[in-house]
Amino acid sequence: MFSRRRLLAGATALGGASLLPSIAHAKGSVAAAIYPGTWEEAFRAIVVPALKKKDSVDLELQPLFAVDQVAKAKAARGAPPFDAFVLDPGPRITAIQDGLFDKIDVKKISNASKLPAGLVDEWGIGVNAQVVGIAYNPKKLPAPKGWKDLFTDPWVSRLGITGFQTTFGTVSLIEIAKVFGGSETNIEPALVELKKVLPKIAAVGQPAAMPGLFQQGQCDVIYTNTQTVATLKGRGVDIEFVKPETGAITFLTTLHIAKGAAEVENAYKYLDIVAGKEVQEALTKPPYNFIPVNKDVPVPSYLPMKSLDEMSSYVRHDWAKINPLRAGWIEKFNKEMAK
Amino acid sequence: MTPERATGVARPRRKLPLAEWQLALPLALAFASIFLAPLVMLVGVSFFNDDKITQPGIGQWVKFLGDPFSYKVIADTMLLGIKTVCATIVIGYPLALIYLDASPRLQKVLIFIIVMPLLLSVVVRTFAWIVVLGREGVVNTLLLQLGIISEPLRLLQTELGLVISLTQIEMPLMLLPLISVMSRLDPNLRDASSALGASRWRTLFKVIVPLSMPGLVAGCLLVFASSTTAFISQTVIGGVRLIYLPLLIWQQSLVVFNWPFAAVVSLTLLVSVLTVVSALSYLGRRSGGYVHG
Repeated sequence: MFSRRRLLAGATALGGASLLPSIAHAKGSVAAAIYPGTWEEAFRAIVVPALKKKDSVDLELQPLFAVDQVAKAKAARGAPPFDAFVLDPGPRITAIQDGLFDKIDVKKISNASKLPAGLVDEWGIGVNAQVVGIAYNPKKLPAPKGWKDLFTDPWVSRLGITGFQTTFGTVSLIEIAKVFGGSETNIEPALVELKKVLPKIAAVGQPAAMPGLFQQGQCDVIYTNTQTVATLKGRGVDIEFVKPETGAITFLTTLHIAKGAAEVENAYKYLDIVAGKEVQEALTKPPYNFIPVNKDVPVPSYLPMKSLDEMSSYVRHDWAKINPLRAGWIEKFNKEMAK
Repeated sequence: MTPERATGVARPRRKLPLAEWQLALPLALAFASIFLAPLVMLVGVSFFNDDKITQPGIGQWVKFLGDPFSYKVIADTMLLGIKTVCATIVIGYPLALIYLDASPRLQKVLIFIIVMPLLLSVVVRTFAWIVVLGREGVVNTLLLQLGIISEPLRLLQTELGLVISLTQIEMPLMLLPLISVMSRLDPNLRDASSALGASRWRTLFKVIVPLSMPGLVAGCLLVFASSTTAFISQTVIGGVRLIYLPLLIWQQSLVVFNWPFAAVVSLTLLVSVLTVVSALSYLGRRSGGYVHG
């Protein structure tokens, strides 16, 4: 039978148990958000053991897309659910505007000196360059030369597209708009051309669903980043990456420390180790194929970019101009593409 | 069905002793804090004009309700729910009848098959449907090999494909309440009906269907509410050309960060679903009255 004393003892035990994770947290751990998929796999395999070995810090990875990280941190109002962000340029600007980052003290990141100028600023450090272009199935289609080809046969009837929800989707649609007379701030021509071929297009999907749709043969040509291509190739999917004739797109992926982070010192250690030679070198290897940013790490020949100096010859975008327009573009895409 | 209805005799309502009322208090407080408070906040947030939530106003409501596209999305979302409900009834009801007539051993196997979709993550179930419905999926390969079609059918990213997959995904929600009500029916009623000269069909429509109505209505409610809000299935199987309210909520809250607009769309979804659900449960009560009245 339940006595009051027993009930109290039980409640105390339960209460005590709920405190355990926070005790473990205080002993040397850091919670970092990470992109689901290739990034999560790579960081779990390489960064988690490296940080444990070097600093005895447990790295807890929380798989979240860039926009989800910003939304969660905004909703948490000063008590973020993780200590470090990993972001693309667009969400990075949103996060800076919303005051979600702590300014970093570069002196605490010893490997910062190994990063090229421009990759380190008061808000965080760049740890990887992503390259976006066209991916196609070489067994079913000839290689397209550029964005314009995607709107003609045989590619158009096998084309899979996504909207403006992600960085790679947004920059690809901007490049499509450019070849049809648009610009970084005028994506109208892309939507006009898409609407013309819409009945023929094989798939209009959610960004996260695209690799699966490609793998299942629902579509055979998509725009995506080189890491997705590497991951699918690693699974035996017939996929090749093409740099469009107008140039492949690149943008930096950056790490940041969250304002109100519980483990600031460990977050610095995390940033430092990701920028370090050992981790950067391991990340360049297949199946991860990250483009390294540490100057001491040679870029392997199988990567699309031969050195970071090449970045200037790639197509880049000004996200300060894009961000304010994006909500309108998403709305427009919905209306134009809706059945 | 209330006991009063079942017996046809209204019992005097027993007054709840204070102690019992107090026992329910923790649950009531938890409910208030985790459901009502966020709901009130949601309503509050929807009455701000800007995404920084600083200027109060009805701008977001005006924007949403003044756009004809919004009504199309609301109608499409409700229609998706209705189509899924119809499909689950057409397939689920005969299945429930088969279950009733099956031997206890077969019933165990059937219940396992019925519950199985619930044991899988919705993400796994949804991606499995990509494999089934895809251009090179099971259905297309089979039809091509049998020579029934010469070109693969487009099943993924169509409403038909979405309704097919939602029917399978939501089927347990229809079958479980239906079976639980139907297995309580007195088997003598069927014998009595046939002894009085009714055909099997007449027995089905005049005896079994009316008596199973509470289970059927409960199933419809669950399937409707679940399929209209099934964001993952809607976006992964339906693609982004089929736009439903959950996709709009996701875009506005997680991509654009316009929370007031997301709150407006969320409340619209809540009200639309509640309206249909209330209508269904009203019909359910009416049919209960018809059976026992």
